[in-house]
Amino acid sequence: MAVQHFLAASALLLSCLAVTSYAVTFSSLPRTLVLSVSTTQGHVLRAGEDNITLAWSLNTSLPVGTDSGYKTVKLKLCYAPISQKDRAWRKTVDDLAKDKTCQHKIASQAYSSSSSTFTWTLQKDVPTGTYFVRAYVHNSADEVVAYGQTTDAHKATNLFDIQAISGSHVSLHVASVCFSAFSVVSLFGFFFLEKRKSKSSQHK
Amino acid sequence: MEISQGGDDSYQKKFALPVDSEHKATEFRLFSVAAPHMRAFHLSWISFFACFVSTFAAPPLLPIIRDNLDLTATDIGNAGIAAVSGAVFARIAMGTACDLFGPRLASASLTLLTAPAVYCTSIANSAVSFLLVRFFTGFSLATFVSTQFWMSSMFSARVVGTANGVAGGWGNLGGGATQLIMPLVFDLIHHIGATKFTAWRIAFFIPALFQTLSAYGIFFLGQDLPDGNYSQLHKSGDKHKDNFAQVFHHAVTNYRGWILALTYGYCFGVELTIDNIIAQYFYDRFNVNLHTAGIIAASFGLANLFSRPGGGMLSDLMAKKFGMRGRLWTLWIVQTLGGVFCILLGKVGSLGVSIAVMLIFSVFVQAACGLTFGVVPFVSRRSLGIISGMTGGGGNVGAVLTQVIFFRGSRYSTETGLTLMGVMIICCTLLITLIHFPQWGGMFCGPASKSTTEEDYYMSEWNSAEKEQGFHKASLKFSENSRSERGKRIGSAPTPNNSTPDTYV
Repeated sequence: MAVQHFLAASALLLSCLAVTSYAVTFSSLPRTLVLSVSTTQGHVLRAGEDNITLAWSLNTSLPVGTDSGYKTVKLKLCYAPISQKDRAWRKTVDDLAKDKTCQHKIASQAYSSSSSTFTWTLQKDVPTGTYFVRAYVHNSADEVVAYGQTTDAHKATNLFDIQAISGSHVSLHVASVCFSAFSVVSLFGFFFLEKRKSKSSQHK
Repeated sequence: MEISQGGDDSYQKKFALPVDSEHKATEFRLFSVAAPHMRAFHLSWISFFACFVSTFAAPPLLPIIRDNLDLTATDIGNAGIAAVSGAVFARIAMGTACDLFGPRLASASLTLLTAPAVYCTSIANSAVSFLLVRFFTGFSLATFVSTQFWMSSMFSARVVGTANGVAGGWGNLGGGATQLIMPLVFDLIHHIGATKFTAWRIAFFIPALFQTLSAYGIFFLGQDLPDGNYSQLHKSGDKHKDNFAQVFHHAVTNYRGWILALTYGYCFGVELTIDNIIAQYFYDRFNVNLHTAGIIAASFGLANLFSRPGGGMLSDLMAKKFGMRGRLWTLWIVQTLGGVFCILLGKVGSLGVSIAVMLIFSVFVQAACGLTFGVVPFVSRRSLGIISGMTGGGGNVGAVLTQVIFFRGSRYSTETGLTLMGVMIICCTLLITLIHFPQWGGMFCGPASKSTTEEDYYMSEWNSAEKEQGFHKASLKFSENSRSERGKRIGSAPTPNNSTPDTYV
């Protein structure tokens, strides 16, 4: 009897700990949203110029009431595994607080039970890479409770490529070359001046 | 103004500082800009600082650059190694150039020739071009050699450790300052309206312009020697233009130069490695944000403000009491302690203690750099440039070696790499026990005999034909002035008849 009480007490304690620990893990989230993006795999989009249109809705095969408590949907641009390779700053970690897979915010929208869409112009600071889109669903306490994504569980299908802007302009090229040339030319000017000075000091 | 009483002046020279028979200053006055001594000091440390800022301008902006150029961790690691490897040979070449052409022209030339690499960093568009610009920019770190050579030419034995230490330390400060400067410049340009991927490119013009201007300052305001520039002195016959083959031979056959080159790799080389990896270490292991990691990284380099000069001053202080043997003992103790704290740094697991250990480690390792260059000016007089270059180059070799062995790929975690690097520091520093000067002794042995003099050591670099032509005169003066390396304990050693005492009124 005492042992049973003890076990019940420790089970209660552990479950309290589980509830109070705020390390939300990705693997604990249910995939309840169906998210699609209007661009085909392999098509290269240009940052700063092209758009993507996202459409999401609740998975209709789920029981009614699954989405009670859903408040906001936050859409994020996420790196596909190939763009994470040899780049520890984009690593996927199960603990969502430390996860660096999805670093670019697309939009934050209120949740509605009917389907929603959003068109996003790719921002200029998006790097070159292969991506998918993920939507995190938050409740009113702003905790993540569910998600949806445009690719499968292995992050292998329906990926799209983005080509970043170069950031470089013709004026930068011109300025670099001019200043560089000026530095080298002024060096030769120094040598010339030096030779002249030593010749004149010899004549003294 | 004090008037010097040099032996063979053809006209009176007036210097603002007290000078010895070679017209080298016997005092170091930090807040003076008097020509030629203190002016040379300020010009050299400022230009070296500019070169350090340029060489390490990329690391703090890497989070933006790696996205713009699509770099992998391997690309970044390789670029970091490239940045410090170029200077290995550039430093030796710089040493030769200083011996032959003088530090003023040599450093102004190098600074101007590497400025294009910094300007072109703004138009880099791939991992390869990024590596190339970091490689060529890294050559500018060879201005370290011209700085040390210039200080050794302008300041006498009594204060050369201090002058070398402050000039070197304040130059190295650039490696820390850049971690604060570049993000600020980037933020400013980004706020004005440029996109992120354009703002970092424009930001690189700042260190490039700073470098160019400092080269102009050296050319127009600097002077090689207290008595004038090499080209003037060559033409007037006051300075003989030396023979490269002889200078090179006497440098590479002096084993002390090689030992110091290796041990310098384990104080300065370690410092460069830490500059490259420490921000990432704190970011990954302790999960601080990038800004905080940058500030911690900056504080490592900023300790150079007082730690390297402190090493130089300590060297001079020890020399007053114990001579060259004191310099060697202090160097060995301080550098070994640096190794001990490096081992600790890898073992410590909490953020606060880790920062504290890192700061203590930085003080010891940077002081060891200052202490090394308290010894280098005495290894050779004729080949001072190449010896300085070899030692400086050895520093960069150490940086390449430690990064390749311990901090590349995933063989060791960064903390294990740090601990192992500390062990390697302690082992390599043991070589200092082998350095022995016949006229002064080494760590464990006294001078070769009571009658071995400084002249014996420095004159051995000149053959009789050269001596007949009088080329050895500068070395003779140096020998007299270096007698202070005997320390107070060995004060009763014989002095030659024609010694000229240090003069100032």
